[in-house]
Amino acid sequence: MTASRITRVLCGATGVGFVLTLWEIAARSGLVSPETLPAPSHAIVATLRAVPPYDLLQDVAISLGRVAVGFAVGAALGVVIGIGAGWYRWFGALLRPLLELIRPIPPLAWIPMAIIWFGLGESSKVFVIVLGAFFPVVTNAYKGMLGIEPSLLRAAQTMGVRGVRLLLEVALPAALPDIAVGLRIGWGLSFGILVAAELIAADSGLGYLIMHARELDQIGVVIFGILAIGVANLVTDYAIGWLIKRGVGRWHAV
Amino acid sequence: MRGSGRQRLADAVVGGCFIVALLVAWELAGDAGWISGYRFPVPSKLADAGWELATAGFPDGVTIWTHFVVTLARILQGFALALVTAIPLGILIGRVAILDWMTLPLITFARSIATLSLLPLVITWFGAGELAKVLLIAYGCFWVMLTQAIAAVKYVDPIYIRAAQTLETSQSDIFVRVILPAALPRMFAGARTALGVGFMVIVGAEMIGTVKGLGALVMEARRFYRTDLTIAGMVTIGLLGFGISIVLQWLERRLLPWSRGIEDVRRT
Repeated sequence: MTASRITRVLCGATGVGFVLTLWEIAARSGLVSPETLPAPSHAIVATLRAVPPYDLLQDVAISLGRVAVGFAVGAALGVVIGIGAGWYRWFGALLRPLLELIRPIPPLAWIPMAIIWFGLGESSKVFVIVLGAFFPVVTNAYKGMLGIEPSLLRAAQTMGVRGVRLLLEVALPAALPDIAVGLRIGWGLSFGILVAAELIAADSGLGYLIMHARELDQIGVVIFGILAIGVANLVTDYAIGWLIKRGVGRWHAV
Repeated sequence: MRGSGRQRLADAVVGGCFIVALLVAWELAGDAGWISGYRFPVPSKLADAGWELATAGFPDGVTIWTHFVVTLARILQGFALALVTAIPLGILIGRVAILDWMTLPLITFARSIATLSLLPLVITWFGAGELAKVLLIAYGCFWVMLTQAIAAVKYVDPIYIRAAQTLETSQSDIFVRVILPAALPRMFAGARTALGVGFMVIVGAEMIGTVKGLGALVMEARRFYRTDLTIAGMVTIGLLGFGISIVLQWLERRLLPWSRGIEDVRRT
């Protein structure tokens, strides 16, 4: 760690500490009414009092599970279709205009149809998250396939690599950095959609937790929940970034 | 990149025909009763729904034009609010290194807070009115714009600044004539992304306390079991999104002829 790096970390910590202290002081001194914005310490205490820790963990687990399932399905579809559209000309020609037509519709706008198609259960929530993950991944996978250096493919062809092997062993690795970018954007978007998805008749999950707490006027729990969703998003995003760096970064700078 | 003009035309024809074929199949399947007219209203019914929205309106005489204008106004208000706050702040943070270091973790965290999770909070603070919706959209746009504004100022090629300094340009001139123009392409890219984020949020924001706006329309139509109106509303939202991106592309070409294009900006 160089000296300037230490300075940066210290500065960052100071910034965070400064804001937290200011918030705490503002709330405790009564500058802001605690019913509007409770101090961070109050929010934590209020949450622990109102929601049993086990329930809280369960909500986190359920929300993460929904995002994970929706993301996995959406990303898998996106990778397969994006690569297929980039590799097989007819497939791309067939599907691209259709996808471009649907893409501008934001995932949240599908919520009413999701309810009608899949009911009020788990699958309608997952469906909306699937849409959130699918479009960034499919777009980036396609872009990655088109951006492959043609000389790479030709070099492999002269060495006798053909067909599916050419796709899996040469084209796919070459397109991976773009796919990785799409996956990361898709994960963030899935998280962004989670709360809206959990507005669909949910009785569990972090999105439900905060909406329910608002109805009970437990503003402390609301703030805690918002921050918890942010932390979950941040931590998982870093984890994915780290995985990408390890997996893809070996031969590419992402 | 790939394929000649003729090939591209062929591709477009194939894609277009596929869409038309799908629509025809959908219509026929609906008429034959293979798919439920409620769950998958057929295209001809959607066209009727579009006509109904344009003339009679839903709910209670609110036509599609009103929904459209209301939604567009909300997006633009939130977007404008985010730009006027984020750009000056971003320029300041980008120019002062210590501010940049101090705010980095805060901004990173604020960005990862899901905009829609603020829904219960803005309702408590500002009620279910217009302000809550605009602020929600503004929040979504703000952090993207701020991050890009900081980066835009921070990563101006030092050669430009040094060249200006050797010509004994004053500090303020360097800022106005060198740094700002060099930072603008990236800022524009940021504004574009920010508007996209704001657009994603709109349906969520319009879920609360309103019957006006495209997001409210699709939700309200479902409550009255009018899936045809819901889908017609979704198509309109899609058109709005498409229109916005076209206008922004055009604006960028007109306003920033020295920009090397979004792709080059992203790579630096």
